[in-house]
Amino acid sequence: MLRWIANALTSSVGRKIVLGLTGLLLVGFLFEHLHGNLKLYEGDGEAFVDYVNWLQGYGWLLRVAEFGLLGLFVAHIVIALRLTLENREARRTGYVVRSSTGKKTAASASMFVTGALLIAFLIKHLLDFRFHHEFFDDPSGEVREHLASPGTAAIYILAALVLGLHLSHGFRSAFQSIGASHPKLDPILEKLGPLVAALLALGFASFPVYFLFFGGK
Amino acid sequence: MSAGSGHDTMRITLKIWRQAGPDAKGGMVTYTLDTVSPDMSFLEMLDVLNEELLAKGEEPVAFEHDCREGICGACSLVVDGIPHGPQSETTVCQLHMRHYADGATIHIEPWRANAFPIVRDLIVDRSAFDRIIAAGGFVSVATGAPQDANATPIGGEIAELAMDAAACIGCGACVAACPNASAMLFTAAKVSHLALLPQGKVERERRALAMVGAMDAEGFGNCTNHFECMGACPKGISVENIARMNREYLRATLVSRDLG
Repeated sequence: MLRWIANALTSSVGRKIVLGLTGLLLVGFLFEHLHGNLKLYEGDGEAFVDYVNWLQGYGWLLRVAEFGLLGLFVAHIVIALRLTLENREARRTGYVVRSSTGKKTAASASMFVTGALLIAFLIKHLLDFRFHHEFFDDPSGEVREHLASPGTAAIYILAALVLGLHLSHGFRSAFQSIGASHPKLDPILEKLGPLVAALLALGFASFPVYFLFFGGK
Repeated sequence: MSAGSGHDTMRITLKIWRQAGPDAKGGMVTYTLDTVSPDMSFLEMLDVLNEELLAKGEEPVAFEHDCREGICGACSLVVDGIPHGPQSETTVCQLHMRHYADGATIHIEPWRANAFPIVRDLIVDRSAFDRIIAAGGFVSVATGAPQDANATPIGGEIAELAMDAAACIGCGACVAACPNASAMLFTAAKVSHLALLPQGKVERERRALAMVGAMDAEGFGNCTNHFECMGACPKGISVENIARMNREYLRATLVSRDLG
């Protein structure tokens, strides 16, 4: 009865569609995450505390949303990993001389590496805040304390730049994978991709810069 | 050496992949040609090399070719790391030696993909493409005797898009250029060409599902949107066709009455 779904989800094109859709949904999450973080700049951190408490007020609904988010990450990562392994397997003997026709970019060629770095960062990030008990006692104080440390701040700045590189290919690529390509749409996406990547990268990098160099003032 | 003079000759060093058979160990072998004319095509240069090798009692270099007019898709050489060589939208049979300088060194390798196993030297088995076509790259509805040409109106733009996709000669340069050895551009060109036209629309769902299934079964890689295929395609097939195939596949998955 559900064989057609299984066929679609195991095919090359079907998995690319899921990879693209989950990627775009994760970009949506990142914009809300950035919006929440921007409250660190409001007042003396009270707006951020209010935001954290507002989110926590959803109780079990927030847990459901978190599991949904986890599902998006897992689907995106598992499919990307499988595709990458298959792609490496598809050409066991490589070329002696390899050149590019000029279409490949540093971002497109490093999606697996930037993705792997982002997973490593994600784990650190969750341990720093989400699974750090003291975080919920004093959210803005904990953020200030963590990001004022040069080592941590450097990791957060680098991770934001890696995210930018990942999205500079990923955003445009996701639309292509789900079949959204059209002479009207493509020129917009080509501009929007780098813009989204730069916005999120600079947005997230601004927090460690702010707390490290300006002490959160 | 003045390029294109037609009288001078050039000295060209070739490093060519030689492999006696599918399971034999291969390697790059160096040859030097002293009398290459700038007017020669790339394949004519290889003909000269092979005549020299035969005269010396050596095995000639095996390479595929047929029309030598850029329309059959038989020639399949990776020249200095680029399928069909450095000239864009040109098959290697239409590449001429006037584009090279005297004393140049040129590397020649076969298409590399597990789905295209090497037969000998520079010849690979591209029957995987035939099996993808056999899975659905055709129109099987009986159309009867030829109709009046204007009986089925097709908009000019649609006709152009279909013709652009139909320009695919099935050479496999897209697979050879793709960092993932993916056959998406080839399959997408065939799916697009037929899905755009009324004759092909009848079977569009079955075709999209079957051709993608056949492509996956051959062991090609997956598309990660590097677009190297488009850069290497001698017919300039656009990756817009890949997006169209992705749409066709998504649509077919949702509306096909085939329960799997």
